[in-house]
Amino acid sequence: MASSTTSNVYIHVIDDVINKVREEFINNGGPGESVLTELQGLWELKMMQAGAILGPIERSSAPKATPGVTPVHDLNVPYEGTEEYETPTADMLFPPTPLQTPMPTPLPGMAQTPLPGNAQTPLPGTAQTPLPGTADSSLYNIPTGGTPITPNEYSSVNDNGGAPEVKPGPGRPSPYMQPPSPWLNQRPPLDVNVGKQTITKLCVIEDTRQQMTLVYDITIFCFIVAYVEGREEGERGASHQPMTQDFFMMSAGKRKRDEFASQYPNGGYIPQQDGAGDTISNELKVGQGSNTQHNTTIAGAEMSLQGGRSVSRISQLDGPIPDPYDDVLSTPNIYNYQGVVNEDYNIVNTPAPNDIQAATPAAVTQNDTVDDDEDEPLNEDDDDELDDVDQGEDLNTTHLVLAQFDKVTRTKSRWKCTLKDGIMRINNKDILFNKATGEFEF
Amino acid sequence: MATFELYRRSTIGMCLTETLDEMVSNGILSPELAIQVLVQFDKSMTEALESQVKSKVSIKGHLHTYRFCDNVWTFILQDAQFKSDECQETVSRVKIVACDSKLLTQ
Repeated sequence: MASSTTSNVYIHVIDDVINKVREEFINNGGPGESVLTELQGLWELKMMQAGAILGPIERSSAPKATPGVTPVHDLNVPYEGTEEYETPTADMLFPPTPLQTPMPTPLPGMAQTPLPGNAQTPLPGTAQTPLPGTADSSLYNIPTGGTPITPNEYSSVNDNGGAPEVKPGPGRPSPYMQPPSPWLNQRPPLDVNVGKQTITKLCVIEDTRQQMTLVYDITIFCFIVAYVEGREEGERGASHQPMTQDFFMMSAGKRKRDEFASQYPNGGYIPQQDGAGDTISNELKVGQGSNTQHNTTIAGAEMSLQGGRSVSRISQLDGPIPDPYDDVLSTPNIYNYQGVVNEDYNIVNTPAPNDIQAATPAAVTQNDTVDDDEDEPLNEDDDDELDDVDQGEDLNTTHLVLAQFDKVTRTKSRWKCTLKDGIMRINNKDILFNKATGEFEF
Repeated sequence: MATFELYRRSTIGMCLTETLDEMVSNGILSPELAIQVLVQFDKSMTEALESQVKSKVSIKGHLHTYRFCDNVWTFILQDAQFKSDECQETVSRVKIVACDSKLLTQ
């Protein structure tokens, strides 16, 4: 039940909102006036059902404000979201023009809602600290995930394919001139121009893990070869040949061992591989100078791909299977510490189960007493009493005041605050205020 | 321009949110447009409270809980009394959520 003034204010707000968004609904391919009218109607209906506004609503036939001239959108400029809530659609993020379009920032609409000083409201119905906008902005899951790739996924893939372990060595230019193309349909040629010691583009194949490891391995190999090639050039001055052809052959999915066995001479050069391939690389380095440059590189490339695959499998088995109770799972030196770890860390690192048990003593004790009736009592009634105290009195939910504060002070246990521009929902009534003073005793 | 999403938890804000949710679920409305409507609601509500409301209220009660986090005060009062020119209300438990008014003017 609302007072007339409150009801009037609400009606005014509804009208103001509808008028201001009418432009968005009508222009730029919006849903149209009918949807807007439906929105207004439903909103007012719900308000009347909640008792917030008094019906019927009398509206004067005031002329609608003519919408201003809509700004002409310059289509030649890449899309930039004007408001923080505007989320670029898939078409805007991935326009048809390939390759030259730089990678835009991923999904500004999904980012945290920026407010100055992070002044956000808590989630409805909770007394928790408010999270900066994540809950509210995630009310509507903007379906940009329907596009074949999302920038977030892409960036992670890019990181993997970015060969973090590559060290071109002193005096060598950065291997990557441009970030790889994000479009799956396009396959720019893989130009491994080793002579210039640059690699311009990678081919981003279909997004399967197996093939991504291939690309990864190709990347690793390219730098290794580039480095090696450079060294060998300095020593011998021999010319090299571009390896574009060979890479495409190799990137064709499954390969048979026969192809490599024939081209891979025993003891031939296989470049250094990452991860568990250390022992292999040491052997291969010995045989480095034994073959002609061209053969070694091709063979090396192919072998690295094959080996890279196996390396990718082996790398997961790197090191011993860690003890499940041992928290030091990711340490690469676990091998060395194994003896020590078992003695010291196991004792230290297994407090968790004890803690969990310590944190729920109530449940344990209740389980003990009620075990006669059921195997595992669900303890359904534990919290009902608390809830009733809060909400059992009124039909409505907790009474709520939403406002802005000017000042909050405390003297010993006496709190004083000045609030402004607030909405109160008390005893099923809506009360608005411009100023409020509070005096609370803690 | 930044807005306080505070008022979306009020009756009018919840009605709007529910309506928009229904329309988005039915596919009548796009989520982006729904968010624009909510932002506009934030602005309109703040402006209306500043300009159209003139009443003053005093609050007294026992402070059960206080919290200040991310520039938001949350109080939970017990046995609170609200006095205004028009009416007087008493509730056994009420939650007050207040955002910093200085943040909007920055």
